[in-house]
Amino acid sequence: MLAYVIRRVAGTIPVIILISLLVFMLVQAAPGDPADLLLSDEATAEDVADARARWGLDQPVWVQYWKFLTAALQGDLGTSFRYADPVLTMIAERLPATIELAVVSIIIAVVIAVPLGVWAGARPNSWIDNLGSLVGLFGISMPNFWFGIMLILVMSGILNLLPSSGRDTYGIAGDPITGFYLLDSVIKGNWRGLWDGLAHIAMPAIALGTNMMGILMRVTRSSVMEVMHEEYVTTARAKGVSERAVLWHHVVRNALVPIVTVVGLELGTLLSGSIIVETVFSWPGSGQLLISAITSRDYPLITGTVLTYTMAFVIINFTVDILYAAIDPRIRFDK
Amino acid sequence: MVMSPTIGAPGLRRTFAVTVAALGMFAAVTSGHAQSRVAVGVTETISSHNPHGDSISMGYGIWCQVYGCLGTYDFEKGDYVGMLAERWEVNKDNPNEWIFHLRKGMKRHNDGKELTAEDVVHSINRMAKDPQTRQKQNVRNVTDVVALDKYTVKVVTDKPTAPLLEYLFDRVMITGKDLWAKHGARDADRKYPWGWGPYKLKELVIGQRIVLEKVKDHPDAKPQNPDVLIFRIMREPEQRVTALLNNEIQIAQFVPPHLAPRIEGSGNAAIKSTNSVELMFLAMSPKNKPWDNKQLRQAVCHAINKDAIIKAVLQGQAQRLDGPIGPGQYGYDPEATETMKIPYDPEKARQLVKQAGLSGTEVTLYTPVGRYVNDKQVTEAMIPMLNAIGLKATLATPEWATLWADVQKGKVPFYYMGRGSVVDPSVALSQYFETGGSPRIGISDPEIDKHLRAEREIFDPEARKKELNKAFAAIVEAAPACFMWRHRLLYGVSKKIEHTPTPSGRVFGVDIVVKN
Amino acid sequence: MTSSTISPEAAVAVPTLGTERASRIPKVLRPWLKPKIIAGGSIVALLVVMGLLAPAISPFDPNKQNLLSAMQAPQWLAGPHVLGTDHVGRDILSRIFYGARISLVIAVTVVVISGAVGVGLGAISGYFAGKIDFMIQKLVEVIWAFPPLLLAIAIMAFFGQGLGILIVALVAQRWIPYCRVARGQALSLRTRDFVDAARSLGARDGRIIVKHILPNLMQAAMVIGTFAMATAIISEASLSFLGLGVPPHIPTWGGMLADGRAYISTAWWLALFPGLCIFFTVLGINLLGDGMRDIFDPRLKRSGQGMG
Repeated sequence: MLAYVIRRVAGTIPVIILISLLVFMLVQAAPGDPADLLLSDEATAEDVADARARWGLDQPVWVQYWKFLTAALQGDLGTSFRYADPVLTMIAERLPATIELAVVSIIIAVVIAVPLGVWAGARPNSWIDNLGSLVGLFGISMPNFWFGIMLILVMSGILNLLPSSGRDTYGIAGDPITGFYLLDSVIKGNWRGLWDGLAHIAMPAIALGTNMMGILMRVTRSSVMEVMHEEYVTTARAKGVSERAVLWHHVVRNALVPIVTVVGLELGTLLSGSIIVETVFSWPGSGQLLISAITSRDYPLITGTVLTYTMAFVIINFTVDILYAAIDPRIRFDK
Repeated sequence: MVMSPTIGAPGLRRTFAVTVAALGMFAAVTSGHAQSRVAVGVTETISSHNPHGDSISMGYGIWCQVYGCLGTYDFEKGDYVGMLAERWEVNKDNPNEWIFHLRKGMKRHNDGKELTAEDVVHSINRMAKDPQTRQKQNVRNVTDVVALDKYTVKVVTDKPTAPLLEYLFDRVMITGKDLWAKHGARDADRKYPWGWGPYKLKELVIGQRIVLEKVKDHPDAKPQNPDVLIFRIMREPEQRVTALLNNEIQIAQFVPPHLAPRIEGSGNAAIKSTNSVELMFLAMSPKNKPWDNKQLRQAVCHAINKDAIIKAVLQGQAQRLDGPIGPGQYGYDPEATETMKIPYDPEKARQLVKQAGLSGTEVTLYTPVGRYVNDKQVTEAMIPMLNAIGLKATLATPEWATLWADVQKGKVPFYYMGRGSVVDPSVALSQYFETGGSPRIGISDPEIDKHLRAEREIFDPEARKKELNKAFAAIVEAAPACFMWRHRLLYGVSKKIEHTPTPSGRVFGVDIVVKN
Repeated sequence: MTSSTISPEAAVAVPTLGTERASRIPKVLRPWLKPKIIAGGSIVALLVVMGLLAPAISPFDPNKQNLLSAMQAPQWLAGPHVLGTDHVGRDILSRIFYGARISLVIAVTVVVISGAVGVGLGAISGYFAGKIDFMIQKLVEVIWAFPPLLLAIAIMAFFGQGLGILIVALVAQRWIPYCRVARGQALSLRTRDFVDAARSLGARDGRIIVKHILPNLMQAAMVIGTFAMATAIISEASLSFLGLGVPPHIPTWGGMLADGRAYISTAWWLALFPGLCIFFTVLGINLLGDGMRDIFDPRLKRSGQGMG
């Protein structure tokens, strides 16, 4: 196992280098010039040339890449063209907001979808299955932006229950400790801040979680249905094990592999920031950062952000694989 | 698609209700409290702590009230007014020399240091030299800045520059020379954003909000102005409107025309409108076939039914342009503009296309999506109008960065776009229509060049306006662009406050009155 | 016999239809006559027919604008514009009909291609495990980390635009979920008795994958597929805004939905009807898939209680 872990960790280095090279080439090849996009409408050709020289864009791509790579190995991802801040600091500032939102929406999705999916899968074609499937399919076919705006219109507009955007109300949270508002509020015992944080995160988390809930519910259902017909389930039942025990001990455990896979995938997507939901709710996370970096062709920021995401995926995939082995001892990677 | 039933799950809803009850603070943020707060829902974010680090209109307004700037354009008076500068004049013998007299006794936030000429000299030099500035072009014509005494600054330009105030006012933020010297550029902006404006910076969360607090003893700050002014970035129009009606924010920037009735009908907020200073136009680049044909360009201008589009697609919330500029912009002359008017006349347009021998020509109209009010809808409506005069038009909606890069290089033959911040049209027109101005349209017309060059060197306002109008007429005649309209910018304003929006899009705390 | 303890409703409900018609319907067709297959089949057929017959059944030219009658609410059967008009006065019903063409083509091709690629690679990755798995999963990490927007812009820059390129742009990342899920299951399947049995009988790897692994991956793939179908239709719109793929004058459901976004609170019909179409597509495909699963699922047969 240890050898396997070492191999996995070592194996990520080429992935990181490869992706940095790919991103570097792609952003440079994409049409649009950061100097045109970031300077004022009234900038002259001279101003543009100055900016390009300052950003190192006047040098050949391979020189730029080499500079980037050597700096990156020393932990420096460069300086954003647009914000003039170190890329690493910027990502570190934005990432907690994104992680917080991702975690809350995953929790919402899992808590609703898994029990519903297990129930539906255990009783296919029952009313709970049909209702659950309908809800799941709604979740799947609901565009994020539409649902987000509907939430704002209903929860903030008609019911006037929740704040329509942002992450907190000015003046309540106080200075950050970890950068995760909910966690910070708990640490500080700032209950008003905790409520404020929860009220702000509720709608974006639901908007993000609903889609995932739909797919997770369907995956759980199909996976449970499949396992229900396995011989060991029949055997357990024949041995007189109670229906509930059969369901939760034998069936769910064996149905977990696809569920864990999907949660891992979705977590990865969410960490890369849901651009639409972050924009709709003015959530100051990394998705917004990335979209503004792409639309203004802020090369260092794009590269840095994508590299961060790659690391996140590598870690998530690794965790998922470990979980596989824990769930199903028959699964082995080290051979 | 109905709302998913899970959302209304009773457990969740109860939690929210408790949440809100516990908070009890979304309402009544304005009056009645010890500290009055006004929040403004805006669409764009400031992206940098550097006061010259952005080139967005809202940013100028925010920094201007924090650091302070020399002056601004007062749209009500139709003239420039001083802020940190008390008065200014041009040397009669040498039109390259401008003298600015500063207000005396201005105290800086936090440490009370007085504003001096040295700070102004430093700020203008900084704008030219700081690598992070995006405002360098505004001081390009400035060759020298000198402090004549503690309160007097001399600015020297390389050639007579009548529109100099347009470059300096609102754009040059006056930052402290001593702070910069002591803490360095980076820390001065981030940790010591102290200025001489009526509000000081409390918090800047890029992409979420900017919080300003009133400087109570500032000479411009009045007790009825909000104590705290918050700019909240809210990109969705529905969200700004909802937040306004909930009293989460008190001013909603850029309300789309079709949402205006919701605000008007609510009773607790009203719509205030102002004409934007952004010119919307259809550009036709003569460097590209078939747009080298003047008749075709003129035909297109006759083909577009501006009034119908304004009425149906823009819900009446735009002002038609008959020349390059409209009322309130520098040099506008209603009589002269009347002669430039190109009426909607599809029959004449069809004849022009036929005469040019271009019937059946395929043309592609490029438009950004979501950058200007209803941009895609507007251009969609133009397509049948272009087809009606014998062209075969299609619409293309490229990604903004790609489109803008191509426009900058002069590679887009036919596009719908806007030019913002046009108060004095001199710079914008030269940029788009003068030979060598920029490749965006790439027309080269001696008549246009002649008038544009001439107007820049005339200091007498009346004579300059005359010359400007000759330039306008020449541009309309050559038709490298059809001028469409200026959007009417709609602001939702809560009835708990008084605020009149300005065409520049800037929101100054000292212009807001919180009612009791 | 197991189903009677777990799901009495299913055991009762399904045979009813079977017995009623058993005598009149040929035996081959009988398993297909289930409420789910019939309902799902009709929905899908209806949508396909809508697209095919669009020119014949559309009351208006889908691109015919009329600024004077813009944003009219649905008139149902009381007026010419049954489902109302959009922001430039185009008839929504006609655009829905025409929109079915591109949207369904995109949905189906993207799902089929990315499903085939993803499940195939996932099965190989999971079955062989070890080095092959390692390589394929590294590829997955590289591709999944790419921001879709950036990828789309880059693809457009290199290959120009067109429907084919649009499909490529969508497939480029959409195969990943299939691949991850299929691999997870294949990792577990490869150690099962029936695979070992096949191997000991001398079956080659290729045959084992096709005969024993792939059939067991289909159900999860189906679930991802229906999800992917919805996202493909919706993201078509966002990619069109980047100038990639379908030009704005061709009606698509995704494009209509995106146009309607600005008018959600004032003219709900702009976004609602295309949204419903996407929902019904997903619903129809799901019902069909569920129904067919009962017929084809290997394990249902194995345990001797296939419900047909």
